[in-house]
Amino acid sequence: MSAALAPIEARRAEALDSFRVRGMPHRRFEHWRYSDLRAVLDAGQVAQAGTARWQISEIPDGVEMFDLSSGGAPEWVVKNLGNIGNRPTMEEASLAFADGGVALRVPRNRRIVEPVRLQISHAGNLRVLIVVEDGATVSLSELHTMDAGLVRNVGVEIALGEAAEFSHVRCAPPAPKSFNIEHIAVEAGRNARYTAHFGNFGSRLSRTELHILLGGEGSEAHLSGVTVLGAELHADVTSHIEHVAGKTLSTQLFKHVAGGRARAVYQGKITVREGANGSDSRQTAKALLMSQRAEADLKPELIIFADDVKCAHGAAVGDLDADSLFYMRSRGIPEREARRLLIHAFLEEAVAVIEDGALRDIVWRDVENALPRAMEAAK
Amino acid sequence: MMLEVKDLHVTVGGKKILKGLTLSMKAGEVHAIMGPNGSGKSTLSYVLAGREGYEVAGGSVTYDGHNLLPMKPEERAAKGVFLAMQYPVEIPGVTTLTFLKTALNAQRRARGESELDAMNVLKFVRQRATALQINEEMLKRALNVGFSGGEKKRLEILQMSLFEPRLAILDETDSGLDIDALKLVAEGVNTLRSPQRGMLVITHYQRLLNYIVPDRVHVLAEGRIVREGGKELALELEEKGYSEVLKVPA
Repeated sequence: MSAALAPIEARRAEALDSFRVRGMPHRRFEHWRYSDLRAVLDAGQVAQAGTARWQISEIPDGVEMFDLSSGGAPEWVVKNLGNIGNRPTMEEASLAFADGGVALRVPRNRRIVEPVRLQISHAGNLRVLIVVEDGATVSLSELHTMDAGLVRNVGVEIALGEAAEFSHVRCAPPAPKSFNIEHIAVEAGRNARYTAHFGNFGSRLSRTELHILLGGEGSEAHLSGVTVLGAELHADVTSHIEHVAGKTLSTQLFKHVAGGRARAVYQGKITVREGANGSDSRQTAKALLMSQRAEADLKPELIIFADDVKCAHGAAVGDLDADSLFYMRSRGIPEREARRLLIHAFLEEAVAVIEDGALRDIVWRDVENALPRAMEAAK
Repeated sequence: MMLEVKDLHVTVGGKKILKGLTLSMKAGEVHAIMGPNGSGKSTLSYVLAGREGYEVAGGSVTYDGHNLLPMKPEERAAKGVFLAMQYPVEIPGVTTLTFLKTALNAQRRARGESELDAMNVLKFVRQRATALQINEEMLKRALNVGFSGGEKKRLEILQMSLFEPRLAILDETDSGLDIDALKLVAEGVNTLRSPQRGMLVITHYQRLLNYIVPDRVHVLAEGRIVREGGKELALELEEKGYSEVLKVPA
């Protein structure tokens, strides 16, 4: 055993204790109220799930990779692994139970053009660590496969140095028999920028939780996402953005479509800490319900301790516009195609923000695949 | 007869709007329907186009010998019925060109014709758009979003020109247009007059009929056609007003 491993092992032991004490999250935790995980999954099942698999087909030049299942972790892994964010219980579980994962580092001032394509497959726990150093730029696509077994629990940590830029697209196709949990913790340095898009197509219970610390002055987070669900699928996106430093900016745009008996959840909490003057946060969440039995829960939340801040939020749940539908049909477009086109139109602005055309196409492809089910009424 | 409406009764939300409307039109003709606000003009146009929520309580509508009423809006469109709307809807997220292509091909598909590829659609649209002063930039914008009143109406006429309907219904196409826009739209309509096509021009004012000269004028009041005549009837209405003309027994 190399000496460098010891702190990681110590941190993992601490995570295990922490998870044992706190256990599974449940609906009496306010931010888990729409996703009662304990009711459907017990701690033992998470502990015994093993380790999920990951694959990166090609590492772009300039990106350093470390396989977390191997020994001799470099200093940047030791320093960061398990130490970013506020250590929520499921993230502690992924740290405690995952015997592996991947760590990526982009050194100072390296600008990586090619996106890193990360694939996550199989059931189990998994850890991902991304370190983007000062002035460096990189993007990551995180594509999940459907074979999630009973439970997949991923903990992602992202450390962004001064003026670092990281863009992240996560896409998870429907996995009706699985529980799919992911926690993403981000710490952004001065003038750093985190951009992320989430394509959620549901699981038996799916939870994507973000905790973003805008710790450096002028740092930014831009989140967007689409959720398209049918049948009895569930997808929950919960974000907490903390504006700690001044002149920080966050924007969020989420669009959900739910049919059948599906349930789409968005909870967006913004905290503006004392002294974070000149901060600006905007969040919009909209949902379309395609059936009487589908449900959308949209919950924006603002907690402000600073003066001189701008915070705006909006949430709306509705049905497709009858005038638009008739207009299209009167021009010869059959009802189903018209509905499809209008759903596309509804989702468009949230997908259009993905800069990489290939990744945008992947999200649209998954939307297309999910739409027929989402357009069905409850059986 | 291309269009035959007989004793049509229609209710909307339980309220009787059309109360025994009878009207017929041959192919190649242009008929104007004039009437005061609330007389049922828009209801007639929606019923002909097949909008949901307009309940037919009696009477019949025959189009080219077929019963029009059981057909869905999209079937009517494929069979050549077109309604130019008073308030064309704005649809963010769908570009005008994409919309036109989808609609054109949906109609062609329904008629068993081959679909046009993107290049041929663009060629066809460009060719028809020029006369209506609709430029490429407008076609790239989201459907009707940020369009002026005149632009929206021009786009309606462009669709009429692309879809080449047998029966065109123009619902208050003149509303909200200044005189230049009105002339442009009327010219667009006039070039589409043909022996195979019937047009029903619904309007509140006579002004439009200076530019689109009708073969026949029907006056609609309280859900029924109360007077019919030639184009001079429109002038009489303009001069005397609806209340005066409607006093005269039909």
